[in-house]
Amino acid sequence: MAPSSSPNSLPQNMLEALLQKLGTAVLARVGTGNTFHLIGDPPPWWATTFKTSPESLIDVGSLAPFLQHFLDESESAWRTDPDRVVRSGPWSHRDLTSILHQFEATALTASHRPLLLIERVDERFDQIQTLLQQARDQRLHHIDQVKTHERTQTSLTGSLAIATQERDDVLALLQHLDLAAIVTNQEGRVTFISPRCLAWIERPSTRVIGQPWEQSLPLESADRKHLRQTWDALTPQRGRRPLRLTSTTPRWIEYEIHADPQSSERRIILLHDRTEVQHLRQQLDHQTQFHDLVGRSPAMLQIYQLVRDVARVDSTVLIEGETGTGKELIARAIHYSSPRKDRPFIAANCAGLTDSLLGSQLFGHKRGAFTGAIDDHHGLFESTDGGTLFLDEIGDIPTSVQTSLLRVLQEKEITRLGETRPRKVNVRILAATHHNLNEDVIRGTFRADLLYRIRVARIHLPPLRDRRDDIPLLVQTLLGQVCATTGKAITDLHPDSLHLLMTYSWPGNVRELKSAVEFAVISARTTCLMPSDFPEELRHTQRDHRPPFSLESHHTEPKTLLLRALQQAQGNRTEAAKILGISRATLYRRLLAHRIDVAE
Amino acid sequence: MIQKKICLLGGFAVGKTSLVRRFVTGMFSELYQTTIGVTIEKKALLVGDQDVTLMIWDLYGEDDFQKMRESYLRGSSGYILVADGMRRSTLDTAEALHQLAQSTLGPVPFVLIVNKADQLKEWEIDEATLARLRHKGWLVFTGSAKTGEGVPELFMRLTQTLLEAA
Ligand SMILES: Nc1nc2c(ncn2[C@@H]2O[C@H](COP(=O)(O)OP(=O)(O)O)[C@@H](O)[C@H]2O)c(=O)[nH]1
Ligand SMILES: [Mg+2]
Repeated sequence: MAPSSSPNSLPQNMLEALLQKLGTAVLARVGTGNTFHLIGDPPPWWATTFKTSPESLIDVGSLAPFLQHFLDESESAWRTDPDRVVRSGPWSHRDLTSILHQFEATALTASHRPLLLIERVDERFDQIQTLLQQARDQRLHHIDQVKTHERTQTSLTGSLAIATQERDDVLALLQHLDLAAIVTNQEGRVTFISPRCLAWIERPSTRVIGQPWEQSLPLESADRKHLRQTWDALTPQRGRRPLRLTSTTPRWIEYEIHADPQSSERRIILLHDRTEVQHLRQQLDHQTQFHDLVGRSPAMLQIYQLVRDVARVDSTVLIEGETGTGKELIARAIHYSSPRKDRPFIAANCAGLTDSLLGSQLFGHKRGAFTGAIDDHHGLFESTDGGTLFLDEIGDIPTSVQTSLLRVLQEKEITRLGETRPRKVNVRILAATHHNLNEDVIRGTFRADLLYRIRVARIHLPPLRDRRDDIPLLVQTLLGQVCATTGKAITDLHPDSLHLLMTYSWPGNVRELKSAVEFAVISARTTCLMPSDFPEELRHTQRDHRPPFSLESHHTEPKTLLLRALQQAQGNRTEAAKILGISRATLYRRLLAHRIDVAE
Repeated sequence: MIQKKICLLGGFAVGKTSLVRRFVTGMFSELYQTTIGVTIEKKALLVGDQDVTLMIWDLYGEDDFQKMRESYLRGSSGYILVADGMRRSTLDTAEALHQLAQSTLGPVPFVLIVNKADQLKEWEIDEATLARLRHKGWLVFTGSAKTGEGVPELFMRLTQTLLEAA
């Protein structure tokens, strides 16, 4: 069917012109090989792409390797399937100036003639290329993003793992070092608290995390205020004084506040348990009380140390001091600090007893040993076995008892009155006196060998007027005791009252102070002790800083003391005894000893 | 003179065009220009005492947008599978293309190159995976079109194998 035969068909030359305009070269196969000839004028690109002359036959396979391939592919269609159209798909080829162009070839059969159409598809191709490029770029970008996300996630997970690990390490370290630590943010809210610290404050971490740190600690308000001040100072700080944690097990803590070197947002607080140190410090530096002894004056602190020292050994101790200074308290302190503390402590007052009574009391007796000895009786030495026997007023014991005592000290055995068989005893003797025993020895009223046996160690208790600094503390302690026994609530001491107490000479020492406080508590009508609540004599006796009469008994003649006391008491013996802090009987014996004759 | 057709097969942007360009012209470009059509490059080689002209078919990347035409493979004496070391999935694509090539061409020689070895730190394909492929009898190269590392060896090795197979 010739195209020109139909009235609607394009004339041959028009068809060629059209194909040329479309940029398509049309080649018709010559024979059955790869030889083709161009139909009509080829499009303009042809001449710049292939070196062929329009009239001659063209070996298409040699034009481009791809075309060779395409011819092979199209062969079967041409040969067996005239209806089939084979498209090559795009391929690129360099033109004669080496510029790469895109082409597409089509194989078909028309009017029984195998035809090959070659198009340059640069423009169309550019569009597809652009689209595809965009799609692939996007795909690559997406892959990249996913990868970045994955990597970020991995690194985050990694950092998290590291952070967790580090946190665990730090925790383990804190636990190992038993460090109490709190980490806070800038506002002071707790972000971390170590297990040790939690144990101290006895709260679960859930009640602490996120809370202001100083509120997490069980403290008294003054301590809390102090803590806040230190915190507000902002610079790295070590707390100036220990704080007391008022948990079930109270603790003394010291603390340091540090800025976290890693982050200015955070602060690290290290807490140190100083309970033991604090206790020691209290005992040593600021000891106000030792057993029942009260006072923190240098003299008292020295005495506490002495007590501790002699408690460790088993020697006899002579406790010297004016009446009312608390010699028995010293003896008790020694006993209760000593290895004998679980055995009995027995105090015996040796003053004013006859030979036989004192001897029987100390050593026991056999029935009928003396008038009134109606039964066998064991003495204090036997009762005290293994413990401590405190012999008060040892300067007052009769000579015969002194001899027996010496034997106990030498042989560690006693013989009950009326018996001959000695009994072994294990008793530590502590003795006390307000005498100057040296003088008694010279005077012949005290055995020198006994004195040396007794005075292996010596503790001298100062009179209260020589440690006036302890008066406020003593008053406070005594007030507490008295209020507890009387059930009265006294909360304050008027400054004038304190002044009164501080300036009084206290010849009867702590014992007199205690009676004065008792007196005042009973007299008080308000919760504050006024000077008028105290006994008259405190206010009426001369109050200068020197005692009204020197009671430096160890350096003053006992006789002078007796005379002065009598003078002050205007001859009243009961009064004089009171001033001297001794019993009337003792005063009487002493007056006799010094041959002072006073009419009642 | 012997002429041999070889194809480069692999996912998109794995570096097929770059490898060919590096091998043929010694150049490299960072710019990615996707290949849509078929580009055939010629390269003459001297292998032993034989002159060989390689007709290197750089086929477009196989992906969702373009499927490889099996007909392009026809007449290939061998092929190069290309994967991108930084994308694990491109190795799967290479393996799928390998299946396709084998069914089309029969058991012809081939080599695998895992490209972009200059970015080793970013690689998702590990030594164990490559060892597994080598164990299957594959010729596995790692290299870089960017630095040229492994590129001549890759083509040389395949050509030698083609000649031995012929
Ligand atoms: N870093 C690096 N990039 C490469 C390497 N080979 C190719 N590329 C880049 O990868 C992208 C795709 O390369 P191309 O050769 O077009 O890949 P094709 O789609 O497989 O032909 C381009 O941006 C190249 O610059 C290589 O060895 N190292
Ligand atoms: Mg490419």
